[in-house]
Amino acid sequence: MTVVFWFAILIFAVAIAVGLVRVASAKDLGSRAIIGDLVYFAAIGILTLIAMLTNVSIMLDVIFLSSLLGILATIALSRILTRGHR
Amino acid sequence: MTTVVDVFIAFCVLSGSLLVLVSALAMFRAKDALSRINVFSPATGLGMPLVVLGCYAYTLQQEGFSVYRLLIAIIAFFSLIIVSSIASNTLSRSTLLSGSPVHRYTRPNRLAYAQGEDPREDGAAGGRGFGDAQGETQGDAQDDDDPTAS
Repeated sequence: MTVVFWFAILIFAVAIAVGLVRVASAKDLGSRAIIGDLVYFAAIGILTLIAMLTNVSIMLDVIFLSSLLGILATIALSRILTRGHR
Repeated sequence: MTTVVDVFIAFCVLSGSLLVLVSALAMFRAKDALSRINVFSPATGLGMPLVVLGCYAYTLQQEGFSVYRLLIAIIAFFSLIIVSSIASNTLSRSTLLSGSPVHRYTRPNRLAYAQGEDPREDGAAGGRGFGDAQGETQGDAQDDDDPTAS
């Protein structure tokens, strides 16, 4: 089970690395915003898997709160994209 | 029985993380920002709920049943789907409003063409060229990273 969790952490880390490479090579701002969202969710996945590895009892609370608050960064980035215009 | 639960947890966690990785790789294949927002939805719509499911099964196996954890898992499962959909909708709307270019191979492209005016849908028989209905949001996205793809 530990091997599976470490492997999943590795896959998430590769996803974050690929996303950061794409951020560096992307030209338009919308792509960067959505890849920022991707990095956020992959980081949540890594955090959940670490909590499962170390048997912390708050693993579901972490993913609960972060899934509810994950909209805030995206909404803020979209407001920045339109310069405050709705 | 515990082996079955272990295999289920491993399947959920691994397939969820693989979906996130595939979405990250698909960012290279998509041509414009709208397509990238579109191909991101498997990660949050299926990948992360699978991770939540695996996490809840692991909690169920380790610590037993609890109404609080079941409630939190259900809320997290559905809020990941709903919240990420709303966020993607808002982000794509603001991306289009801010004048981000839409690639000409993004189809169906009803945001840039009015209905019935899409030259690819009615076979370009009406003599409408590509340059007709191009507004501010329509134009060739820069193929900065993938010049070989057609």
